[in-house]
Amino acid sequence: MSDAWREQAPEPGEPRAFEFPDVHSATLRNGMRVVHARHGRMPVVSAHVVIDAGAAAEPASRGGLAQLTASALHAGTNERDSNQLAWDLELLGVQLNTDVTWDAIEASITPPAAQLADALAVLADVVRNAAFPDGEVGRLREEQLAEILQRMKEPRALANDVVGRCFYAPDAPYARPLIGTTESVGAITPSDLRAFHRDRFTPSSCTLVLVGDIDADSATALAERCFGDWTGTPAPLPDLIVRPRHEGPSVHIVDRIGAVQSELRIGHIGVPRSHPDYFPLIVMNSIFGGAFTSRLNMNLRETHGFTYGVRSQYTFRRGPGPFLVSTAVGTDVTVRAVEEVLKESERLRSEGVSDEELTNARDYLIGILPLQMQTTGQLASALAELVTYGLPLDYYDNYRDRIAAVTAEDIRRVAREHMRPETFAIVVVGDAASVREGIEGLKHGTVYEVKPNGGTA
Amino acid sequence: MIRIPIERYRLDNGLDVVLSREDAAPVVALNIWYGVGSRNEREGRTGFAHLFEHMMFQGSKHVPEMGHFALIEKAGGSLNGSTWLDRTNYYETLPAHYLELGLWLESDRLGWLLPAMTQEKLDNQRDVVKNERRWRVDNQPYGDWDERIQALMYPPDHPYHHSVIGSMEDLDAASLEDVEQFFRTYYAPNNAVLTICGDFEPAQARELVAKHFGDLPRGPDIPPIPGRTTLEPTLGGEVRETVYQDVSLPRVYTSYRIPPFGTDEYYTALVTSYILGYGKAALLYRTLVREQQLAQDIVAYAFPIVVGASMLVIWATARPGRSAAEIERGITEQFERLRDVEDADVERAVSLLAAERLNELQRLDERADQLSMYTQLFDDPERINTEVDRIRAVTPQLVRDFAARYLGTDNRAVLTYVPREVGA
Repeated sequence: MSDAWREQAPEPGEPRAFEFPDVHSATLRNGMRVVHARHGRMPVVSAHVVIDAGAAAEPASRGGLAQLTASALHAGTNERDSNQLAWDLELLGVQLNTDVTWDAIEASITPPAAQLADALAVLADVVRNAAFPDGEVGRLREEQLAEILQRMKEPRALANDVVGRCFYAPDAPYARPLIGTTESVGAITPSDLRAFHRDRFTPSSCTLVLVGDIDADSATALAERCFGDWTGTPAPLPDLIVRPRHEGPSVHIVDRIGAVQSELRIGHIGVPRSHPDYFPLIVMNSIFGGAFTSRLNMNLRETHGFTYGVRSQYTFRRGPGPFLVSTAVGTDVTVRAVEEVLKESERLRSEGVSDEELTNARDYLIGILPLQMQTTGQLASALAELVTYGLPLDYYDNYRDRIAAVTAEDIRRVAREHMRPETFAIVVVGDAASVREGIEGLKHGTVYEVKPNGGTA
Repeated sequence: MIRIPIERYRLDNGLDVVLSREDAAPVVALNIWYGVGSRNEREGRTGFAHLFEHMMFQGSKHVPEMGHFALIEKAGGSLNGSTWLDRTNYYETLPAHYLELGLWLESDRLGWLLPAMTQEKLDNQRDVVKNERRWRVDNQPYGDWDERIQALMYPPDHPYHHSVIGSMEDLDAASLEDVEQFFRTYYAPNNAVLTICGDFEPAQARELVAKHFGDLPRGPDIPPIPGRTTLEPTLGGEVRETVYQDVSLPRVYTSYRIPPFGTDEYYTALVTSYILGYGKAALLYRTLVREQQLAQDIVAYAFPIVVGASMLVIWATARPGRSAAEIERGITEQFERLRDVEDADVERAVSLLAAERLNELQRLDERADQLSMYTQLFDDPERINTEVDRIRAVTPQLVRDFAARYLGTDNRAVLTYVPREVGA
């Protein structure tokens, strides 16, 4: 049997055009925006209400308020108690999802198309008339406090929760964990939720995104029916303070006695979503640690076997979120893994990337877009992101052209400007007794012991 | 309800092929299910099916080391594989014009994996998998629950007695000879289903499948699953285990033996799991979480597994100050209420299940995986379209009968985690 033809990977066929769906926008008389796209072949519709009520808008002493507000959207409205609310949606086959980020709360449902009108009426009731009754809010606050306790014993969550306070100065909102602390959540009252709702849940600070088996006119008419007579005016957003905790390098160890792995978070403050270098940075990150075949993953996983996987990412927010390398490595190879991350970071900054790496990364990011936009939920989330960051609704029409335009020189420039390994904060959640001496040997600035529940020993 | 189109045929070498066209976007999903999972592992080699899965990404005769990942990512695709009790699957989603690349890669590792195997690759992936075990199990609160539940629920000679990830000791023992033997035994066209789903021309797809897979030789017959594969319908007693671990809150897992995935009674179990533990109007959420505030969270899950018997597992984390024993009592009490389960409870569960299926089948990779699954496990890809009818056929009376038969204390394992101070 001759298999010579198998020596070469087959050539691709003729590419078929991918058209991002047409996106329509309408504004209701009360100022609420409706964003719509017809999408897919299945009889479902995703409805996302994007609320300008992220954790960055919380009062500083009420960390975790946005999170609690989002979960307490399940606590009922003026017309429905929490049990009735759950029954009204679930009998339609619908689950209400509530997500919170630093920049928004998103309340979303994906009903069968035939149930959309009924389900959206309930979603509108939740967003407009959430009642935050004392009993249910009290219960959900206790659950959030218990979750904070659980996260202190779960190494990945623990690492993610302490990163903020290792990277940012204590008065910066991003220094807090999104979920809050025992102290800040313990101080939240139902009236805090009602005030946050009154100030942030208003027609002009909310956008309804509808994607799926529905036409634009019906979408607008349905939105008008559910939200048209809603009134309210948002309060101004607080100014966002962003300052680094340390100007120079630092190491932060959270002790987990006997841990068999160290969770590592390595990086520094990144850039905001609106930064003009967004496209060169995501191409650079793809090469560095954003894809499976990235430099970091090939080094730490495939060459050294230190880890099951490693990723780097820019966490884009309205303000500059962290640029972060995340991985979990065997306790005995912790220091060597940190050294490799530092080495790869330095190499990227001093050498840039090869033409082949650049081409591959651009091809990857361009090709993967249609795969990431398969479902109504994926597309609605992508549109919600445009809304939150004030990006134009035709953004994805030329997204791929903007990736294709990134040059090797662009990457060299942004690597020099934005990659600063000499200022990295290195966070290690692991067995301090095993790793401390080696970590100190790196001579990467002061080594701090960090307690899970706040404070620095 | 929409209908997923299906064309199915078989190559002479035994490869089962399922084609399902959907041209809404220029995307194509490939998926292969091999009829081998942790259930096929021999004694002393737990975790091997999964370690082997990792070796399938290390290159083959015509594909260089790391070529598999590099070529797919350069094409703008995504890929992975996974191992479970009953199967190992491999899949990639690609821009439609790269269909042949996926077929070339999948056929090369099925036809020519062994020429590319080296001790160095095995040692590297052994380290990666050991770190995967630490990441999923050893460094995670409650991380070993499924391993413990399986050991409690299945007798030592049953293939589900041990976990997919396996033990560190057995991973250390795995050799290149094991890789070769496992490959020759289980990785054959006659033990695989290939599904292509998405934007393709059916005639061209058939030609490409024939070109890449047609000349692979049929393998020997697949040996039967080792050990005991039939079980009594119920446990016939209660088994218990308490684990002291570095966790913040107590948690209890209760597990009931139920009929295997695919049987009519399994669908009753599935609907019952939604009545009990899925959504905020579910019985156990309403009572244990919202009203009594004993539990922080509650989940009920029916395992889609087929050998001998499956499990319905319910777990709940205690609120601070509450104990696992209180939760366990609460769950048992609520089971009494299944005796007079109402129409609305069943209607809610069925509506959620039906809508969930509609939503998840939007994804081509999900469709392809389900088509491979129904073909591999039940020889019937059409189940992707008829499954919802089986769910809709569940009535309150069936739920009451199911609860009476399977949800008693004489048919369960109870696994309790109790917080323990470390370093104290």
